[in-house]
Amino acid sequence: MSHANHSEAGGPTYLWLAAVPLSLFLLLVWGLSRHDLPWHVDTPWVPSLGLSLAFRIDGLGALMLALITGIGTWVFVYASGYLAHEPRRGQLFTVLILFMLAMIGAVTADNLLLLFLFWELTSITSFLLVGFNHEQAEARAASRQALLVTMGGGLAMLGGLVLLGQMAGTWTLSGIVAAGPTLANDPRLPYALVLVLLGAFTKSAQFPFHFWLPNAMSAPTPVSAYLHSATMVKLGIYLMARLDPAFNDLLFWEVMLIGSGTVTAVWAAVLALRERDLKRILARSTVSALGTMTLLIGLPSAGAGLAVVAFMFAHALYKAPLFMVAGNIDHATGTRNIGQLMGLRRAMPWTAAAAVLAGLSMAGLPLSFGFVAKDIIAVAKAESEIFTLVSYATVLVNAVAIAVAGVAAVRVFWGPLELPRNQVHEVSWRMLLPPLAIVFLGMEFEFFPALADPLLLAAARSIAPGLGEVSLSAAYDLEALLSATGITALIGLLFFLAWDRMHEALHTLNRFDRYGPAALYDRLLHGLARIAAWHTRHLQHGRVSGYLQLTLAALLSMGMFGWLHTNSRLELTWDWPDHAWAWAVACLLLVAGAAAAATLRTRIAVLMASGLVGYGSAVLFLFAGAPDLALTQFAVETVLVVVAASVLPHYGTAPLQQEPLRASSGVLAAAAGIGVFLLLVHLSNLPVNGELAEWFGRTSLAEARGRNVVNVIIVDFRALDTLGEIAVVAFSLLAALPLLAGLRKGRVP
Amino acid sequence: MSLILMLAISIAVAAGVLLVLSRDVFRLIVGLAVLGSATNLIVFAAARPGGLIPAVIEAGATQLPAAAANPLPQALVLTAIVIGFALLCFALVLGAYLVRQGGQQNVDRLAAAEPAATDPVKPPVLEQ
Repeated sequence: MSHANHSEAGGPTYLWLAAVPLSLFLLLVWGLSRHDLPWHVDTPWVPSLGLSLAFRIDGLGALMLALITGIGTWVFVYASGYLAHEPRRGQLFTVLILFMLAMIGAVTADNLLLLFLFWELTSITSFLLVGFNHEQAEARAASRQALLVTMGGGLAMLGGLVLLGQMAGTWTLSGIVAAGPTLANDPRLPYALVLVLLGAFTKSAQFPFHFWLPNAMSAPTPVSAYLHSATMVKLGIYLMARLDPAFNDLLFWEVMLIGSGTVTAVWAAVLALRERDLKRILARSTVSALGTMTLLIGLPSAGAGLAVVAFMFAHALYKAPLFMVAGNIDHATGTRNIGQLMGLRRAMPWTAAAAVLAGLSMAGLPLSFGFVAKDIIAVAKAESEIFTLVSYATVLVNAVAIAVAGVAAVRVFWGPLELPRNQVHEVSWRMLLPPLAIVFLGMEFEFFPALADPLLLAAARSIAPGLGEVSLSAAYDLEALLSATGITALIGLLFFLAWDRMHEALHTLNRFDRYGPAALYDRLLHGLARIAAWHTRHLQHGRVSGYLQLTLAALLSMGMFGWLHTNSRLELTWDWPDHAWAWAVACLLLVAGAAAAATLRTRIAVLMASGLVGYGSAVLFLFAGAPDLALTQFAVETVLVVVAASVLPHYGTAPLQQEPLRASSGVLAAAAGIGVFLLLVHLSNLPVNGELAEWFGRTSLAEARGRNVVNVIIVDFRALDTLGEIAVVAFSLLAALPLLAGLRKGRVP
Repeated sequence: MSLILMLAISIAVAAGVLLVLSRDVFRLIVGLAVLGSATNLIVFAAARPGGLIPAVIEAGATQLPAAAANPLPQALVLTAIVIGFALLCFALVLGAYLVRQGGQQNVDRLAAAEPAATDPVKPPVLEQ
């Protein structure tokens, strides 16, 4: 899939679109310089549902906004270069803009339902972006997986948020955070928190939902750099951080976050060693970093709050450039397999430079893991045993991070070039500038942490309100830092050197894959399709008699159900109509016709017998004060015979087959007959409501100037119904015409 | 309501259901006709018909006499008769067409629109 030989597709490059996030970023910076946080907007939307357009931007929100718009600006620049050969890039940019707006909404929403709305919007746009190369089955499967996992989690989260809202009696996030401590004794709290955490864990790819993120790497690289490293996957972290001040003291919350975070960080680090695809290696290390962030949020100390925002900030600033580097390599060489990539530094010097700088940052300059290590060690020293384990885990995780940085930044660029020299080329400036720019920005903050102080401290105070006046640069405890980084760097170096050997060794893990959550997801999805197919095939089997049996049985059961729930009297009354002999004749015709139709064996005889049923009802109408009905029924039966006679030859001339009476048909027929009889008896015991008849009788002449009340109802009072009825007749003719034409030609089209 | 009418309607319904459940296309359509007539009679019978006087306002009178038949179910049934007629005509033509196309009188084998499944999960493919 090398893009090297393609010429640029025509049309606009959409570079100007980068002005959208840029202007938003500048607006944010201007706002931060002018107005104190938090900013607050609240407009009623659907007051009856407790839905208001409540937005609130505090330090954490502002940090997320800075990442979304700041990284976003460079991602848009990068995308305009990366997608220069892509004819459908307009679509991608549209969805990317929508995604950015959804993200902005999600990190600023204060109303719970609004948060859910934007949350799911990011899932939907992510689905469209991951599945952008929808001709590839792999991309389709990955986007479906990302959607199902994150949306399923989102639904769970909605349940949790609603529970929290009911418990706290408020529908704003800030209200819930404020009410947090009072909720601790509510028995519903664990359920609510589990549900909310399901949403956060799926979104931020925490174990056991970690599998979707590496698969989502089938997205175009700008999407991976933006959604899957810098912004969307941090949404779960954002939500946990947002709720942390309320529930930080709960043991349950601590255990969930520290446990899941540690397992995710370690396991994803191990899995990173198993990958050969550069983007997937980066994705695994992103999952590992997200696990570390979850763990940090769970830590009880106030300093952990600062650590988490610092790490989140630093991670975005090095991971997005590394993804861009991976994209550049893919673009230039057509492969992302680290087995084939070596010695690219001469061919791609600028990409190499960006990679080395980003790699250095990832490997542990102060802002990123220095902080993380320092705080975990500090907490471990001060608190219980369990944190010692966690701190060992962190050392391992960071060692792998260093090794990953080495692979992405050093390994693929050094050594002899494996690929033919003419196949590799440096990429355009639009793909070089963004990673370099972000990396330089990151370096600047690394060396002069005071630059980021105000924003990071404000964000940290949203998570840990108890955090005192600290300066990032002053917060380093050099001794602890050195001891931590020293060991970690050493192990990381070993991992880097032994990468291939460990990769081989980890092949033994393959046999356990079929028990993992990814395999479970596959089985669930497959099982769902199987169940759907199974029940569809048992309901929609193609046999008309089966459909009819099911329908009739359902109808009769519903009637039976209704019967059981009415107190009906079954009293037979003997009342004789005025012309009882005529009724007797009519009923005789009815019964004889019905019986004959069911038993006779030539079509014309069956047709005539059914006509007898019609004539029988006509006679009844005639002697029951309904001459109009009688007239219509006579006319209809006669015309029907004509119509039937004209198509009858097409049914063939052989006599009808004698059908054995099937038990199911017999039972259903008997049940229907008895059911109707019971219904009629029940009806005859109910009082007649003559109100409408009386009203029509009174107003027919006065208002509609007609003496035949039945006709007046049809053509005047219910004229619209009659129009519909005429339309039905006309449509049945229209539908029959082409069939008739086919029959007349003697062939079927 | 007269008992014999109730019995006659019930028998007609039972015969109609039997016909509708037949495997023969033509019997099925005739069953529809019988069931339609029986259903009309149920609606008609619900108003307890008994007298002979039609729902017509006589010359000189301004409203319906109290003894006249109930006009409301009559209007409903009149509409139902016409619609049932249209349905039957179409069903007869469609049935003839299907028999011609499928070379079959058995409704269960007239399954051109719902062919048997070939894949355990995917829906069957209609042959054009």
